[in-house]
Amino acid sequence: MDAEKTSPHGGLPGAALTGSAMDALLGDPAEETNPVGRTAVLAADERREMLAEGEKLLDAVVLNAEFVPAGLGGRFTSVPRLAEVLRAVWRRDPSLGAGYGFSSFLAAVNVWCAGDAAQRRHTADVLLGGDRVAVAFHELAHGNDFAQAEFQARAQGGGWQLTGRKETIANLCRARALVLFARTGAAVGSRSHSEFLLDKAELPAAGWCDLPRYHTSGMRGLQLGGMEFTDCPIPGTALIGAPGQAVEIALRAFQITRSMFPAVCVGSLDTALRITLDCALERRLYGGTVADIPFVRSTVARAFADLLAIDALASVGVRALHLAPESTAVYASASKFLGPRMMLDAFEDLRAVLGAQGYLRQGPHALFQKLFRDAAPITFTHASRGACLSTILPQLPRLARRSWLSGPAGPADLFDLDAPVPPLDFQRLAVGMPTTDGVIGALAEMAENVRAPGREDPLSRLVARFGAELGELRSRCAELSPSDLTMDAPAAAYELAERYTVVLAAACALAVWRAGGERHPGRPDAGLLGVLDRLCGRLPGAGVLTATERASVEAQLFDLAVARFTDRALFDLTARPIPG
Amino acid sequence: MADNESIVIERTPEGVGGWLVDRVAFYLKLTPEEVDPQIGLADYGLDSVYAFTLCAEIEDTLGVPVEPTLIWDVDTLAALTEHVMALVAAVESA
Repeated sequence: MDAEKTSPHGGLPGAALTGSAMDALLGDPAEETNPVGRTAVLAADERREMLAEGEKLLDAVVLNAEFVPAGLGGRFTSVPRLAEVLRAVWRRDPSLGAGYGFSSFLAAVNVWCAGDAAQRRHTADVLLGGDRVAVAFHELAHGNDFAQAEFQARAQGGGWQLTGRKETIANLCRARALVLFARTGAAVGSRSHSEFLLDKAELPAAGWCDLPRYHTSGMRGLQLGGMEFTDCPIPGTALIGAPGQAVEIALRAFQITRSMFPAVCVGSLDTALRITLDCALERRLYGGTVADIPFVRSTVARAFADLLAIDALASVGVRALHLAPESTAVYASASKFLGPRMMLDAFEDLRAVLGAQGYLRQGPHALFQKLFRDAAPITFTHASRGACLSTILPQLPRLARRSWLSGPAGPADLFDLDAPVPPLDFQRLAVGMPTTDGVIGALAEMAENVRAPGREDPLSRLVARFGAELGELRSRCAELSPSDLTMDAPAAAYELAERYTVVLAAACALAVWRAGGERHPGRPDAGLLGVLDRLCGRLPGAGVLTATERASVEAQLFDLAVARFTDRALFDLTARPIPG
Repeated sequence: MADNESIVIERTPEGVGGWLVDRVAFYLKLTPEEVDPQIGLADYGLDSVYAFTLCAEIEDTLGVPVEPTLIWDVDTLAALTEHVMALVAAVESA
């Protein structure tokens, strides 16, 4: 962490936020008069506006301070805690979460990783003063292929001159500062782009203009803007790091935000599951409640298991930034790939239970259709599925040869979700090519332990199944040739990367349950078995559980979900009490 | 890589340079004679993925620590050979 002096904005509320504090701040969503309750959230969405009262509440607790390292006068000390706070916001309204500030954090991590003292101070002051920072990377023509970005910065005198367009950037119009990605060299390769930190107030008015707002089908409140620059001069001090470092900085800094992404977004799946149960338990069809229908019970159980699986993967992912940063070049992309994908699938399954109720924009369950629309972009925002897999794939052959089956398990605290984390060291986040994989190490260890004869219980069989999958992945990945690893890689190679993410998630769940013991739901016979069974379903080949075993697991998971719903507790691994 | 197990490379500029040319030729599906050590690897179309892979191969095969961004900065095979020889010398004298 930085050790610079704190900012002049010294009068901030000192206490770091927690998930519970954020829940209390947002209050009971069902309360009609709650200015940030469901009714208000839906009304803002219909108006394509941000939830204004929500932004006021987050201003009042200076949520921005959570994005600023403690050494710079903010309260950012722990990615897991920040993720928990933002998850609580996402549980209420994903547009509020994304539109209020996550985009500021996306921009800021680049400065925390590579900015000089003055740039860090300036960014901290902008955020602590209540303003936003936009992350101006995207150009519609090039999608996630940032290395092809055309926006140009030409060296001129001691400074730079900007020309080009940045499009569909969250909060660009109302941000005070921006972190901008621009081409600074003509050569092909990864040293031709640079990052710049700009303060909009300091740009000459003749050099740029705002583009009209972009509208979308989900996240409708989000202020997506664009800017067009024409020969706009900026000072040399705007450059972040050295010329040509942009790809390197982004590859390091975005490991933080890619890891956080599923940990945060999964909050809206909690709400979707709550709405589904609310509907299923009260609505009467065919002479009983919807919840009496076996298909509904098993769909609820499976979505609950999916939520727990995403939580296990994402929770270990954000802890790894602190405890195993040498491996996060792979973990961040794996989490960003599989978490959102499982989440969208779970949303789709739950929609089948709600039927027309999941489609109506009015009535008691109208929030579902908004959350469903808001969830749609999670698989392509901030690194698409293809971009994630193509980041993971080239790293696998080396991990297969150097680490899998032989490397040790990660430190115990990596998997103990209640253990405090050591400070985050931005400098330890590496561009790529890790040689150790402590999460897979934990699985290899457990798979070795179930090899004893006579271990025929469902958990041992599931562990053995994932152990066998790891062995198969190891042989296949070790044999991949360089031409199998690029963007043009054959589909079969990408399938290996995808299978790796599933095995990684299983390893996370097993290790988290082992470390957490009785804290985690349902003991091994329900929660963990449900998670592993669902993950198994994402691998090729037959399942492990018998139909009877699966029915029993799902029945227990359904009952547990109903209990959490009735008792007002989160569905995630914390099972924390909530206002509703 | 699978075809690259247990090979012995002489720790000389010729040995290391020749091995690097062989690897790049293999990536590009060219013969070693067709690879010009003075042309930038990015200009050959070796993107960041190949750059990472080649860095990892150098590290694993020659036993020298290599930054994953090395090939972004040292772009031609001639310059890379010189750089890797310096790494080898540093490891051997340590």
